[in-house]
Amino acid sequence: MNSGIDLEMSFTQGVQNLGLSHELAHLLWIPLPMLLVLVSAVIGVLVTVWLERKISAAAQQRIGPEYAGALGILQPMADGLKLLVKEDIIPARADSVLFTVGPILVLVPVILSWLIVPFGQNLLISNVGIGIFLWIALSSIQPIGLLMSGYSSNNKYSLLGGLRAAAQSISYEIPLALAVLAIVMMSNSLSTVDIVEQQNTAGFLSWNIWRQPVGFIIFWICALAECERLPFDLPEAEEELVAGYQTEYAGMKFALFYLAGYINLVLSALLVSVLYLGGWGFPISIDWFSSLIGLSIDNPLVQIMAGSIGIVMTILKAYLLVFLAILLRWTTPRVRIDQLLDLGWKFLLPISLVNLLVTASLKLAFPMTFGG
Amino acid sequence: MSNVNEAAGSKFNMLGFLEKVADYTKEAVSAAKYLVDGLGVTFDHMRRRPVTVQYPYEKLIPSERYRGRIHYEFDKCIACEVCVRVCPINLPVVDWVMNKETKKKELRNYSIDFGACIFCGNCVEYCPTNCLSMTEEYELAAFDRHSLNYDNVALGRLPTSVTSDPSVRPLRELAYLPDGIMDPHELPAKQKRAGKLPSQIIKELQVKKSQEDEDNNSSEMVPNNLNSTN
Amino acid sequence: MNIAYSTELICFLILSAVIISGSLAVVLLENIVYSAFLLGGVFMAVAGLYLLLNASFVAAAQILVYVGAVNVLILFAIMLVNKKEKLKPIEGLRTRKLISGGVCGGLLILLLRVSIITQWNLPGPSSIGEEATERIGEHLFTDYLLPFELASILLLMAMIGAIVLARRDVSIPRDDINNNNNKKSLSDKKIPLLSENSLK
Repeated sequence: MNSGIDLEMSFTQGVQNLGLSHELAHLLWIPLPMLLVLVSAVIGVLVTVWLERKISAAAQQRIGPEYAGALGILQPMADGLKLLVKEDIIPARADSVLFTVGPILVLVPVILSWLIVPFGQNLLISNVGIGIFLWIALSSIQPIGLLMSGYSSNNKYSLLGGLRAAAQSISYEIPLALAVLAIVMMSNSLSTVDIVEQQNTAGFLSWNIWRQPVGFIIFWICALAECERLPFDLPEAEEELVAGYQTEYAGMKFALFYLAGYINLVLSALLVSVLYLGGWGFPISIDWFSSLIGLSIDNPLVQIMAGSIGIVMTILKAYLLVFLAILLRWTTPRVRIDQLLDLGWKFLLPISLVNLLVTASLKLAFPMTFGG
Repeated sequence: MSNVNEAAGSKFNMLGFLEKVADYTKEAVSAAKYLVDGLGVTFDHMRRRPVTVQYPYEKLIPSERYRGRIHYEFDKCIACEVCVRVCPINLPVVDWVMNKETKKKELRNYSIDFGACIFCGNCVEYCPTNCLSMTEEYELAAFDRHSLNYDNVALGRLPTSVTSDPSVRPLRELAYLPDGIMDPHELPAKQKRAGKLPSQIIKELQVKKSQEDEDNNSSEMVPNNLNSTN
Repeated sequence: MNIAYSTELICFLILSAVIISGSLAVVLLENIVYSAFLLGGVFMAVAGLYLLLNASFVAAAQILVYVGAVNVLILFAIMLVNKKEKLKPIEGLRTRKLISGGVCGGLLILLLRVSIITQWNLPGPSSIGEEATERIGEHLFTDYLLPFELASILLLMAMIGAIVLARRDVSIPRDDINNNNNKKSLSDKKIPLLSENSLK
């Protein structure tokens, strides 16, 4: 396995050459990838919002946003700008502190989870050993923010929406974690980089989706439920609960919820592509390609090309899944709350347990194909 | 005795449990199948052309019997107030005075408030001199509701037709499209609508009726022939 | 003093301040909802302390279990039974508060004494970093297998207990029990979760 380009090394080297200490160079480096990921997450959200509006329109034989930029590309920007300059209203008898902290507590864990999304060998903020477990742990903070905003709005719809959101996210976290556990068992590591590398031994055929088809479906259903996307958008079911926990929010605080929802969707899609679809892996291996054009694998040009192919592949896979999520939104009707909990506890939980057991036994039986 | 029963019961329960599992699996599989079918339908819709009528630039041509803003001809009106009587809310205001010398009503003003009108068309239906008629104008939005109260001058204006407005692309409604075409955007010029116009149907009916009458007359002339064949 | 050390120190001070003030507020605040939310904050700060100690797996587990499960359940319970009712004034509240404060103060002094007297060998064992996850797994399934299994059984019992409590008491009419013919069929009978009596 080649190590790929290491931007951090070259950056710190460059800064050290300017006469700064190693520590200071490292300190200067730290905010850069964070800022980059923050920006890319926000851009990802803008693209997703545009895609959602366009695809929804197409599925309903409408046109969708058209006049803001070519094909309405600037529409999400306009939406964001509108939300930014709107008046920030706190209801008269709401708890203003909790009302403000709630949306922040929803957004921050989602953005923090981007720490572990790899776009390439070294193209991630930090290759923490607990990788995917960090994401599961962070996503469990979200219900507290939802409960907080639901409670502090002083509105029965908000409270019900917050309670529903928390119940939903607790019940779907368990099958989600179990599905991830099966993957972790196969790749012997929690780190997302290791998980992707383990899938890229034989190109397309070694993707985890072939070894974990059931796990893939469970993970996808649970991810949709965690993102509160249709058919699982009960917490904000507009026919019943106005807008759930978001009812009383306006302006930038509402935008935080909106942003959190879409960042979570993109993040889930990215993680599905990392866990099941081979992450940055390209069906054709880079070694073969570099030998074709007659350059060595350590050539900077080849490295840059490999890096960009990795980024494009990851994003392409993720946006295919986002497209699927949008298509599902206009295909499936919303489930009832009892159906939702039934699906979570009586279907997904047993199935994911069985999946875990089967994976464990297969791993013992065929250590070659299922990661010994 | 009871042991046997229990054993049988447990065996039965085991079978029942397996059956339940099988049913559940079947249901899950069929649900997945329906889901995929549904996704196919949604996906298929994505490649169809949008049906959107982009309003200020494109407008649908109102149908012949469209009940839009009411047109009024001052000179024809005899101030009989039938329109007021047949109106559900007695909306038209007919302002007239009795001319003692000629012993005739002299009309001074006539107005209808379109902020309150429901466009039921009763006044048009009952007007004895046909001075009221329906137009195809439906763009009646105003910043002030009092400006919707049209007097006889405003009522006398003729609306611009959608088809004659150069800034608007007129689109036919679904019922006026030729057979097999669903989208007004892709309509070839001068295509006839599917089916017949009411006037054509009436004409055909009249022709038929006259023919039948002729047939009846001829059959009356030769009744014996019919009887003999029986 | 290098940058890494000073950042660590600053983080430690902030986290400890959050933990101490937060846990005091959890106990002293009148509003129970605030207490519950602050408890979540304290748990998160503790997870931050674990992170400072290079125990990232423990930190994540702390967040997952305490913040994601325990605290959310506490909040759930509070929000489902949050009735606004006047509590009866408790007699001798002041003396009770004094006694409990005394006990807590005594415990604190005891702990302080222990931490001062003990000979800490500094620096402690070097952290094993990412390897910790595997090490924890190994220990759980070898040396600490019995406590691990006992804890899981305890949790299972708690779960069954919760289900039994949630099912409500089912009252069966006395005639049905006395009637011999019904005795056998009772077990087969579907007993509704909410009988009419329990609703009244």
